[in-house]
Amino acid sequence: MRDLHLSLNQTQRVRLQAALDQLESDASSTAAAAASVTVADTIPVNHEDNILKGHGTSDLDGQVVATLCGVVERVNKLVYVRALRSRYKPEVGDIIVGRVIEVAPKRWRLEINFSQDAVLMLSSMNLPDGIQRRRTAVDELNMRSIFIENDVICAEVRGFQHDGSLHLQARSQKYGKLEKGQLLTVPPYLIKRRKQHFHHLEQYDVDLILGCNGFVWVGQHVDTTTKESTLLSDEPSDKEETNNAVPPETRRNICRIANAIRLLSVIGLTLSVESVTETVEESVRANVEINEMLSAEFYVQTVEREAQRRASLVRKRR
Amino acid sequence: MVGLSEGEKQFLRGGIEQNLRADGRTRNQFRPISVETGVIPQANGSARVRLGATEVIASIKAELGKPSVLHPDKGKVSIFVDCSPTAAPIYEGKGGEELSMELSVSLERCLLGGKSGAGAAIDLSSLVLVEGKVCWDLYIDALVVSSDGNLLDSLAAAIKAALSNTGLPKVNVVLGASPEEQPEVDVSDEEFLQFDTSAVPVIVTLTKVGKHYIVDATSEEESQMSSAVSVSVNRNGQICGLTKRGGAGLDPSVIHDMVSVAKYVSQEFISVLDSEVAAAEASEE
Repeated sequence: MRDLHLSLNQTQRVRLQAALDQLESDASSTAAAAASVTVADTIPVNHEDNILKGHGTSDLDGQVVATLCGVVERVNKLVYVRALRSRYKPEVGDIIVGRVIEVAPKRWRLEINFSQDAVLMLSSMNLPDGIQRRRTAVDELNMRSIFIENDVICAEVRGFQHDGSLHLQARSQKYGKLEKGQLLTVPPYLIKRRKQHFHHLEQYDVDLILGCNGFVWVGQHVDTTTKESTLLSDEPSDKEETNNAVPPETRRNICRIANAIRLLSVIGLTLSVESVTETVEESVRANVEINEMLSAEFYVQTVEREAQRRASLVRKRR
Repeated sequence: MVGLSEGEKQFLRGGIEQNLRADGRTRNQFRPISVETGVIPQANGSARVRLGATEVIASIKAELGKPSVLHPDKGKVSIFVDCSPTAAPIYEGKGGEELSMELSVSLERCLLGGKSGAGAAIDLSSLVLVEGKVCWDLYIDALVVSSDGNLLDSLAAAIKAALSNTGLPKVNVVLGASPEEQPEVDVSDEEFLQFDTSAVPVIVTLTKVGKHYIVDATSEEESQMSSAVSVSVNRNGQICGLTKRGGAGLDPSVIHDMVSVAKYVSQEFISVLDSEVAAAEASEE
């Protein structure tokens, strides 16, 4: 998502600058221990210990020098630089949202906002009839009935292949094809790894999936316990369209949540269920129209609210 | 352009039917527009317009030239659009040529009127300095930097903003002794004449998806269109040009309805654009 270029008038510019200054001062007061470095900064290190130079560091004239812009992390004898903004770094067990780009023999290839495409094997996917059995040649020929090109799929990282690309699995009921919603792309570093990435927002009847790779899915809630039965029945596609249209109230909620995510990603705040729901509730409280959520006024208000929240957190800590 | 799954396409179409698109806009709302003028200092006039994620830059260069023999009392204007590969990888090399030609021709048709110059938005006779001998040649160049749908509307808005930013230098013409001699021209560096852009029209593109038409479609919505009608309307509500794209046929009553919707929407768009251009010019000083 590109940056929003907002036309701020003079007062909005002043308010925004004040809120950003407050955020910066709060950050520097709480993060005294975090040593942020830029490229070619020397990292203060005790040369008597045998220091292991990790990622993002390099030896220059006997000094340890940073090769990335980021924060220095020390773990026992290991010193490395953790970049704040980087490409998605996958780990085993991550929840991923991806788009199918190719149907290949016995596997699907997915695009996941990573340097390489991920692979979802046919054997890592539940068959429509739900029976656990060996995949036959007929199953291979019917792969298209499960997923086709451009489908949006939710899966989990199973492991890495020898060339560094990802192996995915979608064996549980909560993984699989995503429909009736929209897919948003945000910078991957805004989504931190948490215990839960699937969120069912009951008061809005909306499913929110925060993929660790930066793909976020917002859609109408699908009951995963009844998911299997819909795959078995052969309904013609246009009948499905009229029966399963998204109701207007749910659609409004989906658009509001999507706009909240767009706004937070443009400001640069970490995306979590709490921040998204708080932004949505605030917009409803302030009677902001859905499309006005991306306007200059609500942008400035959100930044101010975040500055106040962090200031009150700092005060509570003291 | 990234493809869309069947579920996403249905969601998109359902949203258009229910008058609530993916970003919360109704069918008749434009995305927020942002205008910067004077982005190219060497040109006589320039502007950059951002409509959502679509970004275009227009520049206007004026040179002294000779009017054509057929129309000795009119200056010349030529419009050229270039689709940069930064907008989409398919525009690399010759890929963007077809789209560029189509956009240039549509813009020329809307802004320059017919072959005889009738109905032109820019008064070509105001560009003439000495009839038959010296006139201004205006070269309007537009660059598509980033494409997220609705290129024609943003290009027309950028050209309108660039024209209001254009200053033609004042020229002192000294006529030669005999009628065949070429007159001497003295181009002043100080004084500039501003263009009057109140007659320049804007273009509103209506994209038909299913049974409804939407204004200012994003590239995802454009991928679902059956046909699109671009209407060029000026401030007085008069139609200055009309272009229809897309393979599906349209009933004449539907076209009539689309034109009246475009007229209605364009009035608000013109006022928003004018205020943005005025703000941009004010902040530039």
